[in-house]
Amino acid sequence: MSKATAPTTLSLEQQLKRLEEISSLLDRGELPLDEQLKIYEEGMLLAKACREYLDKAQVTVEKLSATGS
Amino acid sequence: MQEEAVSVSELTHAIKGLLEEGIGSVVVVGELSNFKHHTSGHRYFTLKDATSQIPCVMWRSRNPSFRPEDGMRVVVTGKVTVYAAQGKYQLDCISMQPEGIGDLYVAFEKLKRDLAERGYFDPSRKRRIPVMPQRIGIATSETGAAVRDMITTIERRFPAVTIVLRPTLVQGEGASSDIAQAIRDLEAARVDVMIIGRGGGSIEDLWSFNTLEVADAIFASAVPIISAVGHETDVTIADFVADMRAATPTAAAELVTATTLNDIMYSIDLVTDAMSASIADHISHLSEIAGSFADGRALRRITERMQLRAQRIQDLSSRISSALLRNIQQRRREIDSSAALLATLHPLAPLSRGYAVVERNGKPLEMDHVLEPGDIVQVRRQTETSTVLVQTTQPSTLQSNQ
Repeated sequence: MSKATAPTTLSLEQQLKRLEEISSLLDRGELPLDEQLKIYEEGMLLAKACREYLDKAQVTVEKLSATGS
Repeated sequence: MQEEAVSVSELTHAIKGLLEEGIGSVVVVGELSNFKHHTSGHRYFTLKDATSQIPCVMWRSRNPSFRPEDGMRVVVTGKVTVYAAQGKYQLDCISMQPEGIGDLYVAFEKLKRDLAERGYFDPSRKRRIPVMPQRIGIATSETGAAVRDMITTIERRFPAVTIVLRPTLVQGEGASSDIAQAIRDLEAARVDVMIIGRGGGSIEDLWSFNTLEVADAIFASAVPIISAVGHETDVTIADFVADMRAATPTAAAELVTATTLNDIMYSIDLVTDAMSASIADHISHLSEIAGSFADGRALRRITERMQLRAQRIQDLSSRISSALLRNIQQRRREIDSSAALLATLHPLAPLSRGYAVVERNGKPLEMDHVLEPGDIVQVRRQTETSTVLVQTTQPSTLQSNQ
């Protein structure tokens, strides 16, 4: 299952949301420098993890039985 | 006991005689199906009723008085002929008349009207198809081209998903119940969205998607459903009830992968670029403030004045009383500590607190020097100095006080 390579327990969609969030925090520039550097690093790591996850992504096909549940 | 063997041709000839002479010209009523108007001008189709069917041909030289369509009930005049080369029989149609509209169409229209009245097609109850579903349900025949087309399309556009395939009967007896059950099964398998459908076929083949049972299952589903039955021109009841109709199974696969892998990769690139630009912007803003110290003139003037005063005090002190001297020495210490305080305002002192200074050719940038994209500057920090290519510049929001 390709799911296992997901970098955190967050879904891809949640990770992308967090990335957007970090980007807009940095854009507003209201946080202290240290804090900004911290979330910048978090964002870069998140982006890297997302790229690696997507690079490796493969469709998984689960087949349900035709007899119904 | 043993009869004399006859050749295939002789047997076929006998059959041909029996059928063609024995039946002769007939008038037949039935439903049109698989009607094909060949480019040669000849028309090939099937006449059928509930239990039987017969292949028909209507040659180019004979024209029906209307436009035949699948599902119509027609009255045909013709004769049975045997095509010896393939051992097949068919009805050679001389004329054809419509007999009202076909039963299937009547049933279709009636069900459509009923469901519309019951609100099954209301636009307000259509659910939105998720933009980035993780589990995609597919209910279709396991063997058709449709399932391959859908999986290939999803793989190509957005492979970071799980496809939950529920092999489903899509035509013939029991197909409607199986489609309805498949919808419930996929719902139980917690898919984010599902596609129900099949490839093209005759109106009878697609009929399983025109039943109340399937309409009810779609209507009751908590999961958004895309219906993709047959070709562009085929419209079924399922299409009306579903949250979205796709012209073909491949089109449905494209709808559930509206966001492609490339889209996401691109947006990650954009976001990280923006992040880097923001942080670079912020740091350069801070160094601008630090730069006003680095400029140094103000500081130099203050220091000179301090030294001058210290000198004067020195001169005086040698001439005045020791009591006064102590007083003066006290004041000198105060001035010294002021100078120490000033030292902390040394241009490079902020570096120890995480700030950076922007320099060019080893000199701090002038206050009024405006950086432009393409400029190369040095960013000096406590631990290292980096050479940096300016990418973008915006006017600062904070004006430094002079």
